[in-house]
Amino acid sequence: MSPTLHVSDPGIRWTVADPRELALRIRLRAVQMVAPQGFGYLGQALSSAEQVAAAFATARPGVDRLVCSPAHYIIGPFAAAAELGLLDVSGYGQNGSAFEAIGTERSPVVDYTCGSLGQGLSAALGFALADRFRGSDARIFTMVSDGELEEGQVWEAALFAAHHRLDALVVLLDANNSQVDGPVDTITTIEPIAAKWSAFGWHAVDVDGHDVDALGAALAAAAAERGRPSVLVCRTSTRHGLDCLPPNADGHFIKLTPDLARAAISELTAKLEALRA
Amino acid sequence: MREPPYATELKPYGRALVDLARRRGDVLCLSGDLTRQTEVDLFQAEFPERFIHGGMAEANMMGMAGALARCGYLPFVHTFGVFATRRPFDQIANAIAYPNLPVRIIGFMPGVSTPGGPSHQAIDDVALMRVLPNMTVVDVADAVETRQVVAAIADVPGPVYVRLKRGEIPVIFDDDHVLRLGRACVVSAGTDVALFASGMMLAPALSAARALGGHGVSVSVINVPTIKPLDSAAVLAAAGAVRLVVTAENHSVIGGLGSAVAEAMAEAGLGCPLRRIGLRDTFAEGSLDAAYLFGKYGLSTSALIETIWSALGRTGPAPAVPPAAAVAASGEYSPV
Repeated sequence: MSPTLHVSDPGIRWTVADPRELALRIRLRAVQMVAPQGFGYLGQALSSAEQVAAAFATARPGVDRLVCSPAHYIIGPFAAAAELGLLDVSGYGQNGSAFEAIGTERSPVVDYTCGSLGQGLSAALGFALADRFRGSDARIFTMVSDGELEEGQVWEAALFAAHHRLDALVVLLDANNSQVDGPVDTITTIEPIAAKWSAFGWHAVDVDGHDVDALGAALAAAAAERGRPSVLVCRTSTRHGLDCLPPNADGHFIKLTPDLARAAISELTAKLEALRA
Repeated sequence: MREPPYATELKPYGRALVDLARRRGDVLCLSGDLTRQTEVDLFQAEFPERFIHGGMAEANMMGMAGALARCGYLPFVHTFGVFATRRPFDQIANAIAYPNLPVRIIGFMPGVSTPGGPSHQAIDDVALMRVLPNMTVVDVADAVETRQVVAAIADVPGPVYVRLKRGEIPVIFDDDHVLRLGRACVVSAGTDVALFASGMMLAPALSAARALGGHGVSVSVINVPTIKPLDSAAVLAAAGAVRLVVTAENHSVIGGLGSAVAEAMAEAGLGCPLRRIGLRDTFAEGSLDAAYLFGKYGLSTSALIETIWSALGRTGPAPAVPPAAAVAASGEYSPV
């Protein structure tokens, strides 16, 4: 229950019985974490819930690493760790809490996060190089967002990783088409995303980011890939799995009134009971 | 202390890094497409398995260096000072300085020592690195200090920025000189003026002190290789014993040595006239060689002498020094 635990810490243990159920519990937990403030990065949890669940279901505890490049997404790994019994995230987002809403150096669970966007993949490369120097076979699951592709550093890192054949890397790229100023495709044309990564020398596939079976299969294929890093372009929505959200909800920063929070908890609890039935 | 013209050395840094890497397996070397220019071709030849080409991608290089340090390695990152600090400032702040990781950022070609134009001149690198929490900032003066700086910074727990002259490095100190990290050092004692110098400005500071001494002005020269953390005790001791304080840096007068000394004096309530020698809030244009730029922008020995002469209210012409050769004889370094 140490607040300083990380996915790669030796001795850490967890098991994921059903990634579909874990994704649902991540959504429910995220609603409960955001509700006291009345607003927060709930949309990021909704779009990435299956990716986070698939990463925790695939990663080897105490060996593999988890990098969360867009620190606004830290709510997802926090919620997953809470649901897996790894830590208590009460106080998330509150004054004085170690669980800041935008991840910091103190953020537990992930091996690296950085609030300034576009930087996490470079750190993942550093981990991959260090692991190669030491002869470790650790894999590095790296969460990246589609908006981050507007940052040049991501492409510096993409070039380096392919040149050095860092096949320990797998990027879970959350293509939720959401950034602060609106849908990504109204701000900058980043498509075709997978073709760009392919052209950079990566194994790149498009995946339904809310299909845990497809994600699991794509992660398995990435693990079998030799000589190339892999990227899963996960097609998602910041509203997925929460029907009670109003149609005009801002996916980057969702307002959650007490009434809406109650409705959301009720909806997700019912879905969880239905799944378990 | 030797006398000018100073003999010069090539690649004292590159040899020192190889020496450290022979002793320590955790030393890694990253280069941003300036391997020979930053003297680490020597490292690459001897330890190719520990050498990483970062390419022209400084942001990514700093991010990788942070993660490598997080994994227990000691990364030394090399490029020109201007590219080491301006381009990847946010990456250094977030991936290195904030986590307080032992990355060593080595920026060559300080200030106006290059004719490469404003794009290649690191005139704000000290200010940028000094403002970052956890960062140590070092600007050594000669080959003797350069030989020692690698070992001196090896065990600093947090990040370090070192700015180094490129090419022929003067040998100013005697071989028994010891670089003490975090300490300023009085290299020439005087009673009228305290002249604080860092990096390439030590040589002209010594020449100016010598010339002024012949005209009845007694100048202390204090070498300040560690700009952060500043040796405030030594600064205040020297500044409190004179009528005039002067700082000399191959850098903007904003944010570097001059600012650091001014802050220390003001916070201690030490009221004394202060003159800051350096680039006066300007970019530096138009040159074939460094000597021209040092003259044009007031960083020459003559500029130091004239500043001190007028600040002390001396009348009559300031002592003259022979103009520095536009191109120093090979293997010989004259103060500019």
